Amino acid sequence: MPSPRVTWQSIAGESKGAANRPHMGEMPKVRVDFEPLDRWAVVEPRITLLDAARAAGVGLVSLCGGVGSCESCEVQLVQGHVSPPSAAERSTFSESDLAQGWRLACQATPMSDLRLWAPPSSLEHSQRLQLESDLPLAGSPSLIRGQKTGLGLAVDLGTSKLAGYLVDLESGETLATAGAMNPQARFGEDVISRIAHVGRQPNGARELREAATLALEDILDELCTAAGAERSQIVEAVIVGNTAMHHLLLGLPVSQLGAAPFMPAAAQAMDLSPEQIGLRLEPGARVHLPPLLAGFVGSDHVAMLLATGLWKTKQTAAAIDIGTNTEITLAHGGRLLSCSCASGPALEGAHIRHGMRAGPGAIERVWIERGVVAVHTIAGAPAAGICGSGLVDAVAEMRAAGILDARGAADPRAPGLRSGKDGHGWEFVLVAATDDPGSREIVLTASDIRQLQLAKAAIRAGLQVLAQEAGVQEEMIEQVDVAGAFGSYLNIRSAVRLGMLPPLARGRFRQVGNAAGLGARQLLTGAEQRAAEEEIVRRMQYVELATHPEFAPAFVQAMQL
Amino acid sequence: MDAKQLEIIRESVILGRVSEIGQAVQAALDLGLGAEEILQGALLPAMDEVGRRFECEQIFVPEMMASAKAMQTSLKLLRPLFAQSGVEPVAKVVLGTVQGDMHDIGKNLVGLMLEGGGFQVQDLGTNVHPGRFVQAVQGGAVIVGLSALLTTTMTNMPAVLRALEAAGVRERVKVIIGGAPVNQAYADEIGADGYAPDASRAVGLARALLGMSSAVTGLPLQG
Repeated sequence: MPSPRVTWQSIAGESKGAANRPHMGEMPKVRVDFEPLDRWAVVEPRITLLDAARAAGVGLVSLCGGVGSCESCEVQLVQGHVSPPSAAERSTFSESDLAQGWRLACQATPMSDLRLWAPPSSLEHSQRLQLESDLPLAGSPSLIRGQKTGLGLAVDLGTSKLAGYLVDLESGETLATAGAMNPQARFGEDVISRIAHVGRQPNGARELREAATLALEDILDELCTAAGAERSQIVEAVIVGNTAMHHLLLGLPVSQLGAAPFMPAAAQAMDLSPEQIGLRLEPGARVHLPPLLAGFVGSDHVAMLLATGLWKTKQTAAAIDIGTNTEITLAHGGRLLSCSCASGPALEGAHIRHGMRAGPGAIERVWIERGVVAVHTIAGAPAAGICGSGLVDAVAEMRAAGILDARGAADPRAPGLRSGKDGHGWEFVLVAATDDPGSREIVLTASDIRQLQLAKAAIRAGLQVLAQEAGVQEEMIEQVDVAGAFGSYLNIRSAVRLGMLPPLARGRFRQVGNAAGLGARQLLTGAEQRAAEEEIVRRMQYVELATHPEFAPAFVQAMQL
Repeated sequence: MDAKQLEIIRESVILGRVSEIGQAVQAALDLGLGAEEILQGALLPAMDEVGRRFECEQIFVPEMMASAKAMQTSLKLLRPLFAQSGVEPVAKVVLGTVQGDMHDIGKNLVGLMLEGGGFQVQDLGTNVHPGRFVQAVQGGAVIVGLSALLTTTMTNMPAVLRALEAAGVRERVKVIIGGAPVNQAYADEIGADGYAPDASRAVGLARALLGMSSAVTGLPLQG
């Protein structure tokens, strides 16, 4: 039976992958382990990896009912043997992806005990969220056993969300994690509007600073309660964030961040007393704020580079933190080049007719085949709107189905397309309203497509400019780490099809969740990391896209679908 | 023959065929068509159509830029002939992104569309000090176009208006504004003469403010 969370507009069959397998006879059961969720199941070898996932309590997304069409259930084989790739898998993955163990869970069956890696984008929402803070990067250094005793606090002070961690400094173990929305949002959704608030209101700076401090205090309470710890045990704290967040917390001037040349007031690493941040900890505790890189590339980016290992890689590799502002670093030949792109709020659902933030009811996956649209909503709730990752999926599918051309214009004869409101443009129906109470019609408009084109063009053009500055072709990039919450929701394959990300094999992309949070924790316990901070800032070459002659042409070119 | 060639030019601009437009314009000139005829009969109607399609969301920024580039290519070929036959540009416009702001893609597109509409455009670039706008007006510009892309830099627009007043030239010009964070209400608040949400409508706004008919055929030429 298809998963009940999918809204169907036609009938789908059951998992067809296994039905065509030759009869296996009586074979011993096998154990299938799913990383990074640490779940497993002992199953008959006849069943697909998708069914094995269900047995293990791992929610893999499947839109097409397991026939190998929607490509949502990607997994990577880490250890063991599975059946040879089916035709559907061969058309989904390149040779090099297959060689690296990438498979569609609905198509493959086990031939031995297995260890499988499920990337965040293949997972159902709730399990993806859980990973966001906990994600041990495959192959990344775990937290190091430190020389200190006591507890450490690490916080990623994000524009939209804060993530906090309580760490045992001796063992390096994370004792508790907590998240909260950033209460500064009521003074402005994005960094620029908060800076404008400071400029307009005489008490603006104080209001924003107090909101940040309050959020830190709340997270601290939550962490201590969860870990059964006392605040007095905390001897060390590391707080990372983008430049504006850093300045607002410290009460540094921010007006110059709102205008060219966007200079930070102070970018060096700082070690402060808790009182200077407004945190109630033991007076002897130290609060470390790592250095900033530029006006729009902050210490969170530094922390991400530490956690992903990009700062010391010998490869040609990139790390991208996608949001309203997207920060990119490209490493090549020992050089580190960074830029900041104004991708805009479309990826957070703003300026989209039925756009919404990722939350219950948000369409996050879309699949179109032979005129039929299937969607998957977060938490399986009735569709209430579409979030950024859903938008990326939808446009990629519409393009693949020929509903949109390379310019983003629609074929007026496409089924599901109708004239827009006031006769302007057109609308495409993703979800039709039904008689059920609370059912809503969800559409995409011509303008929505344009907004997405602008957002994805900014990101791709930023990376292309960095590649040009580094003297490399995009094809030479060996690894791309996509960080942040949006990065974990994003369907990498759709992003590549849209041209948001370069056309590299699937296996070159990693979704690293809140790598900045991991980096902040590493800074608590690792001396190597503290030294690395300074090295990163020294080696970093910041590229200002606004004045770069290649950005505008690359941006316009990258708007194509 | 003549009408057909004009149609070819018109199509080329609408479809943004930058590599073909030069030949098409040259072919028209070789047929004996005048620069004025080509401008009025093919180029201006083409840009009007491009603007209409953009406003109806049939085409987007890349297509509009390609058309504007084709238009620019044509104008380069025709400009020397305009000077010879005494054809004056419609009016002088000065454009710039305000102080503290480096964004220019939108402003550049406005410049291209205004040129396409027969205006003479002086583009001061980005991060422009108010004094430079004043100089441009003293040099004959009758429209000042201000662009800002950040809520933190749009607040530098009133400084330009004050500088124009202080120099005693505010009455001589029409000031129009554009950019993502601004709108009609802001234009009214700061005392600007108009606001346009995109490059295409900027052309219509400029014409309207100069008391010109919006239809191409009724285009009077002023110095």
